[in-house]
Order: sequence, then structure tokens, then C-alpha cells
Amino acid sequence: MMIELLIGVALLGALVTFVAPNRIAGKLAFAISLVPAALSVYMFTAFDGSGNALLADGGVIAFESSTEWIRLGEYTISWFVGLDGISLPLVVLTTVLITLAIVSSWTPIDDRESQFYGLLLFIEANLIGVFTALDFFLWFIFWEAVLIPMYLLIGIWGGPRRKYAAIKFFVYTNVASLVMFGAFVTLVFSLDVTTFALPAITTAMLETGPQAEIFGLGGTSLASAVFLAMFLGFAVKVPIVPFHTWLPDAHVEAPTPASVLLAGVLLKMGTYALLRFNFTMFPEEVISAFAVPIAAIAAISVIYGALLALAQTDLKRVVAYSSVSSMGYVILGLVAFTQFGVGGATFQMVSHGLVSGLMFMAVGVIYNATHTRMLTDMSGLADKMPLAVGVLIAGSFAYMGLPLMSGFAAEYFIFFGSFGSEFLEYAPLITAVAMFGIVIVAGYLLFALQRAVFGPYLLETDYEIGRAPLHDIAPMFVLLAIIIALGVAPELIFDMITDAVDPILENGGEW
Amino acid sequence: MEGIFTYAPAIALLPLAAFVVALCFGNAMPKKGAIAGIFATAGSLGLSLLMLAAVASGEVHHETYYQWAAGETAGHSAAQGIEFTFGILIDPLSALMLVIVSLIALLVHVFSLGYMNAEGETGLPRYYAELGLFTFSMLAFVYADNLLMAFMFFELVGLCSYLLIGFWFRTESAPSAAKKAFLVTRFGDYFFLVGVVAIGATFGTLAFAGDNSFVAQAEAALDGGETLFGFDARTWITITGLLVLGGVIGKSAQFPLQTWLPDAMEGPTTVSALIHAATMVAAGVYLVARMFGYYALSPTALGIIAFVGGFTALFAASMAVVKDDIKQVLAYSTISQYGYMMLGLGVGGYVAGVFHLMNHAFFKALLFLGAGAVIILMHHEQNMWKMGGLKEKAPVTYYTFLAGALALAGIIPFSGFWSKDEVLYDALILGLENQLYLAAYAMGLIAVFFTGFYTFRMVVLTFHGEPRSEAAEDPHDIGWSVKAPLIVLGLLSLTAGIANLAPVGKLLDMDIMFLEMWLDGHYGGLEELTYGAYSDTLAHETGAIAGSEQTTLLVGAALSLGLALSGAGLAWTLYSGSDPAQHTQRLGSVRELLRSNYYQDEFQVWLAEGLTLPVARTADRFDQSVIDGVVDGVSSVSLFGSGWIKRIQTGIVTNYAALIVGGFVGLLVVLGVYGGWFV
Repeated sequence: MMIELLIGVALLGALVTFVAPNRIAGKLAFAISLVPAALSVYMFTAFDGSGNALLADGGVIAFESSTEWIRLGEYTISWFVGLDGISLPLVVLTTVLITLAIVSSWTPIDDRESQFYGLLLFIEANLIGVFTALDFFLWFIFWEAVLIPMYLLIGIWGGPRRKYAAIKFFVYTNVASLVMFGAFVTLVFSLDVTTFALPAITTAMLETGPQAEIFGLGGTSLASAVFLAMFLGFAVKVPIVPFHTWLPDAHVEAPTPASVLLAGVLLKMGTYALLRFNFTMFPEEVISAFAVPIAAIAAISVIYGALLALAQTDLKRVVAYSSVSSMGYVILGLVAFTQFGVGGATFQMVSHGLVSGLMFMAVGVIYNATHTRMLTDMSGLADKMPLAVGVLIAGSFAYMGLPLMSGFAAEYFIFFGSFGSEFLEYAPLITAVAMFGIVIVAGYLLFALQRAVFGPYLLETDYEIGRAPLHDIAPMFVLLAIIIALGVAPELIFDMITDAVDPILENGGEW
Repeated sequence: MEGIFTYAPAIALLPLAAFVVALCFGNAMPKKGAIAGIFATAGSLGLSLLMLAAVASGEVHHETYYQWAAGETAGHSAAQGIEFTFGILIDPLSALMLVIVSLIALLVHVFSLGYMNAEGETGLPRYYAELGLFTFSMLAFVYADNLLMAFMFFELVGLCSYLLIGFWFRTESAPSAAKKAFLVTRFGDYFFLVGVVAIGATFGTLAFAGDNSFVAQAEAALDGGETLFGFDARTWITITGLLVLGGVIGKSAQFPLQTWLPDAMEGPTTVSALIHAATMVAAGVYLVARMFGYYALSPTALGIIAFVGGFTALFAASMAVVKDDIKQVLAYSTISQYGYMMLGLGVGGYVAGVFHLMNHAFFKALLFLGAGAVIILMHHEQNMWKMGGLKEKAPVTYYTFLAGALALAGIIPFSGFWSKDEVLYDALILGLENQLYLAAYAMGLIAVFFTGFYTFRMVVLTFHGEPRSEAAEDPHDIGWSVKAPLIVLGLLSLTAGIANLAPVGKLLDMDIMFLEMWLDGHYGGLEELTYGAYSDTLAHETGAIAGSEQTTLLVGAALSLGLALSGAGLAWTLYSGSDPAQHTQRLGSVRELLRSNYYQDEFQVWLAEGLTLPVARTADRFDQSVIDGVVDGVSSVSLFGSGWIKRIQTGIVTNYAALIVGGFVGLLVVLGVYGGWFV
């Protein structure tokens, strides 16, 4: 019942906050959010699962809970939730990041607070649902429901072009979800199953494959078509070039806490789904046919995203585009299909969540004080806001993959896993190309730092720029501490992750 | 003595503690954190000396302390475990380097009391914290027992350089120089990281020493005639070795990645001393020495190292000739001197390379700290044309600086002579057998002349003649915290050559080549990491002039000493006197070429700003117009084109919100009814 409790507290908290007075909404939401955060940390310490939740080969799903819910004809839909080594770190990431995002909202949000914080808690409930659901329908409900609060957060509390950005975000990712939904349901109908439970579908898929013909396709060709359609659907969410253009618009218009969650957790929904569906359910022969093109797109995402970041003059856009680059590494790790590759990709999901969250918070704190994000306007902020700038510098180096911070561990695992991959053709070459991203990322972040925080102080404001309040700074230090802890001791979560990744690699699937 | 190794981790951890202390409590402490740093580095030095003594008594310490991550290499078909660990390897090479690094770090801390505290700098806790972190990173790098750990601390060394070069962040130039230093070295580190990944993926281990080191695995692969990643073993070892070398070339400021180092003068002079003598720049060459066994397996890679080194030695020395800023001259001399070390290592002169690394650490730290003292004397003036006549007014600075200059120029009996001579000797005897290497030797030899010239041009302009500015007439006082480090280093510059008087030993047939015996494991060491083992792997054929080792030694020494003296003499003739002329005009267009550093900076700026940035902007425009254009186009056709949908496009977000929430609740209700919730 732990997972139900997590989701329940967040949902109930969302309702309570929604009707609470604006004055206390922020503090109230913070207090409520501590419960799921504490619960998930407890679950992390009490985790007794093993293996992969979708692959029933002797593993144990942690905190499993299953109740039959709906019967649609011969098909059963259940409330089926549980955790394994891949999803648990993401749940902890979600709960911790929500709590910190709430605190970081105290300064910038001064309008309709109760609704704002209510939506943050509502999004938390759904995100936990996405990472814990083991039934396709249940998962899809959470998956879609995440969009609503995010759409509203951007559309109501966003910047000047918030309507355009919010609609683009909503429509684009929704159309992609539709493609994915159609593809997956098609696949389920072709399989020998009468349930939407993901483990059962995975087993059927890997052991026998599609039994019926649909649209004139069957067997491998049907599986390949579904693989491709689902990949495209998730590619928008990740996002992978060329489906990434909604991301910078959404980020630039979104208020800081929404950006933190968007980059920190929402992007991981896409990579998490890719791992859970495309790279777990499909047999190797289907994946390998797409491996080289996907790896190539991943490398392009890394380099192209980094180049785009280099061209930006808005600090928030710089950070936004850098996510495209970082997510490219995740895709490369997944498609390498080795322990370090897939494990590193999962590690990178967590690490990037922490680091990008930190970066958006730091940019937000600077924006709160200066009311500008343009690199051309800023200069010499280090003197005025030493702590915030210190965090921004630390975050930038974490982003660049500085050793002993989580970003390095993630990237190193991915590079190592992908360079030696025997699954992926041309692996050394593609890896070496993608790795060049570590030079460009240093280029644009150091350039941004040089412009914004160093040099003589030139910004002209009609008010005094003071140091940021403690509650703006403290969340960033919490993130920094986790980033360093994971960089020094990646095994805190990496062992758990590889334990859940191994069955995927072993279960090749032979029809 | 073995028990002392229990304390080995503390060598690096003490400065880390100083970092934390200075960062958190520096403002409240006397001397703003300097004391913490001095105690920590003194502790590191003491422990390092004990390690040195333990190694001298025949002990070696190789222990894994911590598993960072572990997993399986390569694809699922051929699963093989690999562990990424933090471990310590204390053998003759690392023990020696630990002493050098901690000694220089301690002296720099002490000197900083006079250079930073006494000059009323702000931000001192930050300064001392960063120095502590710098020392920690370098010491951990030095005794890392595997390539990944070495890479990690190599990167941290880069971070600390960035922070310290940019210490005066309120200026325009310091942040720019810091950025350049990090970016250029990161470009090199990119190749290094690819190399680390490649070596790990190939051999399943990254350990430097032991039966399962990647060097041993590579040897086995060579012997077995294996094919690695589609190449024969020798080629693959060469490729991976050269990839790692990318990092070395970046950090050790070798051609073509040397451009960051002269700019790095924007940092405090104390930081320059640390960067040039014992940390950042030394890290690159040290890495080649650390994994020399691997390079010994690839004659091609070693040949490239030799030529990069020889060329850099000459190239950088030529640029130092026309510089006006005292720190600039020293910066180019550093590049040139590291070129010598690379040359020495590249021709198989492992001992010569390490010997020069050690001597250079002492005399370059001395020269930079001396330059720092001059800058204090001169009230923060760095242009040598405004100096002059400091000799009488600051004798301690003068004589210690002179000792460093004589060592740099390679004048007998100062330390630099012995090590530079040994490097050139090793290049010469290899070149006599394999003429290709004579070219590398020749470049190194010509550079000796330039070195003598620019060194004494600097000494004469700074200290001799008449004062050429008000500041030089009335120099600022300097205290003992400045003088003491200079004296220590001055003595070392004079005497460090005793460690390996190779020509004397060979001519008189005496066993006085202590460093060679030290590195060859005569006192203690790991069999596979000795000079002898490397030489066996290399199996270089060497030649001699007129078939006699003695003649070769004497001819070689006479040549390099003669060139050094004539260079120094020429500088003396041109620049001594009360009011020396610039003379550089006579060089004509060559002067412009040299002053602009062969336009290499322009080229690199063009690469960044003339090529990469426009490409990035084009990509951005493409992204905005084409990719996003398609997205917007599709949506306006499919969604907004329809009249029905237009009516609900009210443009008011809350309306949409109501619709979405309503729809969602509706869906839930339908599912709920269907699922029998309400029954």
C-alpha cells in the first residue's frame, strides 16, 4: 500500500492546497510534500525488490499491489503498481524535486498561489503514477494527466508568449501520445493476452511475438512497425531532434518551478517509457534493425542540441537546449544495449534531473533579482549574489560532467557502455562523435558564465540587487549535495539500476 | 616502515580538509585560511617524505581503497567484469612526485602570505580554498593507481586552474583567460576520455600496475597477435595511446594546444608558480611517465611524443625572445621546457624526462615566485622595460632569481644543465642510430640557444642597468614570507642536479646516478614499472659518435653548454648597459610573427568565433525556421484551419483548463462506471 499512500497523499494534498488561502498555500504545500518525500526515501532504504518489474524471471517487484479494476470485453485492466531498480530512483527524484520546487516558488509566485501549489502536488501524484504503474491503461492515464497541470502552469503563470508555448507543448506531446497509444494497443490486440498488465504483455511479446495479423502485418514486421511508431511517440517527449522545438519555447515561458519539473522529471518520462517499452518488450532482432539509425540520431541530438545552446543569448534557452544534448546521451546509452549503456542511461535520467533542476533554479534566482535573462544585459553578478552565482558555477561544472559529480558518472557509464557495445554497429565511432558534446557544453556554459557572472558589474537597475533569501538558496544546496554524493558514490543507485537492467539484456527473446 | 602507508590517503585528504575549512571558516580565521593551507600542505609534505623513505627502504604501496562502480564490459555475449576503483600506488615515481608537489604547494602557500595577504587582496578565503582543492586534486592524481582515477583528478586540476586563473573575476581579461584555459585543455581531455573509455573497453581494466594492468593486457594482446576493435594490436595500442596523449598535450601546453598557458598569466603569480611547476602543466608529462610502459609498446606513439616535444621546445622558445612582460617570458619558457621533457620521454629517456620534470619544478617555481617578488618590488608593474637596477636594491631576489635563470638556461653546474643535457644526450644517441630522431634532437638543441638568450634578456632587463621607472627607483619592501621560499628553491636549483650526474658518473665510472637507480627500482619498486623494464620493452638501438660513449657525452654536453652560453652572452651584449635598446625592430616582419605567436591564437579564436559560432547560429536559424516552421505549419493546417475547432480557441487559458479538467473527470467517471466503482 506504500505506493497508494504516496499517490494518495499527493492527490489529497493537491485538493487541500487548492482550497487553502493563498497566503499559506506555499508553506502548506511544502509541509504536505515532505510526506511523499520522506515516504519515498523510506521506500528507498527499505527496497527489497530484485530483477526487472516487467520480466518475471525470478525477480521480485517491490511494494507490488494489484487489484482488478475494469473489464473491457475479454480484456482486464487493473490497478497494478510496483517498483524495481529502474523506477525507484526516479520516484525519489520526483518527490525530492517537487519539494524543492515548491520552496523555490516562494519568491517568484505571487498570484493565485493556492492553485499553483495545488497543481504542483497534482503533478507529483501523476508523475509517481507514471513511474510506478505496471498496467498499460493505468500508466497511460497518469501519463496523459501529467500534461494537464503542466499545461496550466505554463499557460497561467508563464511569460509573455505563454499561450503559444503551452498550446504547442500540449498539442505536440498529445499527438505523439496518440501515435504511441494506437501503436501499443494494436500490438496488444495481436498478442495472445487478455490483460493490459505490462509484465504479461512483455512475456507474451518476448516468448511468442504477435500471433495475429493487423493491417496486413504480422510477426517481425508488425513488431517493427509498432516499435517505430512508439519510438516516434516517445521521441517527442524526450525530446529527440527533430522533435524538440516545443521544449525551448515551453522552458522560456514556464515559471522557474515548472521548468525545474519539466527538465527534471517530465523529460525522463520519455526516456523511461523508451526503456520500459521499446528496449524491454521487443526482442533483440527488432531493436537491432533500428540500432544504428537511433544511435546516429542520438549523436546528432547531442551535437546539434549543443550547437543550438551555443547560439543562444537567453540564459534560460541555453539551459533548455542543453537538455536536448543531455537526453541524446540517454538515447545513446539505451541503444548501446549493454549493462553500462542502459544502466548509465538510467543513471543519467536521475543525474540530469538533479543537475538541470539545479541550473533552472539558479537561473530563476538570478532572474528574480535582475529581471533579465539576457546574457547581453548581465555582467559581474558574482559580486552581488555570491551564493547564487557559486551554485550556478557548481551546477555548470556538474553539467559539463566534472568528476565526483553525478553528471560525470552518468556520462562515463554511457560512453563506456556504448564504446564497447557489440550490439551496436560502428559503436566506437558513433560514441566518439557523441562524446565531442563534452567540449561544446563546456564552451557554451563557460561563455555564459563569463558574460553573466564575471567581469565588471554593469547592470543598471533602479533598485539595489541584494543577496537572495535563504529559501531560494537552500534547495540548490540540497541538490548540489545529492549531485556530489552520487558522483562520489554512484553505487548508491547504480547497483539497483543494473540489477533491473540485467534481465533486459539477458532476455533477448527468440520467436 | 610499511606501517606508514596507512597514512597515505591523508596526503591528499589534508589539503581537501584545508579546502573545506578555508571555504567555510576562512573569513573568521587569522590570515584568512592561509594557516589551514600551510598546516595541511606541511603535513602532506611530511607524509610524502616518509613515503619516500619507505620506498627507499624497499617498500611499495599498492592498494585499492574504494570501489566507485562495477559492472560488465562490452556486449552481453562476452560479459567480463570491470571494476572502477580509487586506489593508491606509491612507487619510486609517485613518491618522488608527491614530495615535489607538496613542497611546491607549501612554499606557494607561504609565499602567498606576502604576495596576497600583505597586499590587501579581497576574497582570500576563496583563494586559499581553491589552492587547497588544487593541491588535493594534484596529489590524488599523482598517486592514482588507475587511469580513470587519474582522469578524474586530471579534470579537477583543470577546474581548479579555471577558478584560480579567474581569481580576479572583476576584470574582463581574467575570466576570459580562465575560460580559454579550461576550453583548450578540455579539447585535449576529450581525446583523453575517448582513450580511457577505449582502453577500458578493450582490456577490461584500467590499472597502471599489477598482473592485470592494461599494460600487461596489451603486451599479452601483442604477443597473441590479437585483433582489437578491427585493428591489429600494435595499431590499436598506438591509437589509444595517442588519444590519451591528447589530454597530455592540452594540459602540458604542447603544440598545438599551448595557447592557453600564456593567457593564464592573468591569475595571481603564485598560482602561475603552482600551475607551471607542480600541478596543471606537470600533470600531462607526469601521466606519460606514469603509463610509460604502455607507450613503450608503441614506437610510433613515442616517436610522435618526441617530435611534438622537440618542436614545442623550439617553437615556444622562439616566441619568448620578443616578450616584454616578465611573466610572459616565463610562460613561454614553461611550454618550451615541457617540450624537453616530452622529447626526453619520447626518445625513451624515461629517467631524463622525470629528472627534468623534477628540476624544472624547482627552478620554475623559483622563477615565478621570483617574478612575484619583482612584481611586489615594482608596485605591480610587469613590463620589463620599466624595470632595471633591482640588483642592488633586492639582493635576495636577485641572487635566487639568478640561480633559477642559470638552471633554466642550462648552465653548469645548475640543475637544469644536467637534466637538459641528459634529455639531449638520449635524443642524440637514438638519432645516431635512427637518423629521423636527429631532427628532433636538432630542434631541442637550437632551442637551447634561444633559452639562453631569452633567460638572460629577462635577467638583464629586470635587474641590471639603471632603473627605468619611478617604481624601479623606489621598490616596495618584501618580507620573509617571500624571501624564505625563494632561498629554499634557490638552493634546490643549484643542487638538485646531484640527483643524477649522468655525464660525471659515466665518464668517471662512478655509481652516482641516484635518480636512475631510484627509478630503476634499486632501492625498491615494482618490477614492471622500472626504467629497466621499459628499456627492455623498447629495445632501442643506440649509436655513439666515433663509437665512444665518452666522446658522445662530451660532444653533446659541449654543444648544449656552448649554445646556452652564446645565447646568454648575446643577450648580455645586447641588453646590458644603462639604457638598453629594444633591438627587436631589427627582426622586421619576423618580430610581428613572433609577437603574434605565429597567429596561432588568431587561428583558434577563428575556430571558435569564426567557425563554430556561425555554424551554431546557422543551426539555430535552421531550427527556428525550418524545423519549428514545419511544426507550426502542420498545426495551423490541421488544428486551427478547421472552423469548428476555431470556436473553442477562445485564447483564454482558463477556458482550456476547464475543458481539459472536465474531459479528464468525464473520462474517469466513464471508466469508473464501467469498472463498477459506483455500484
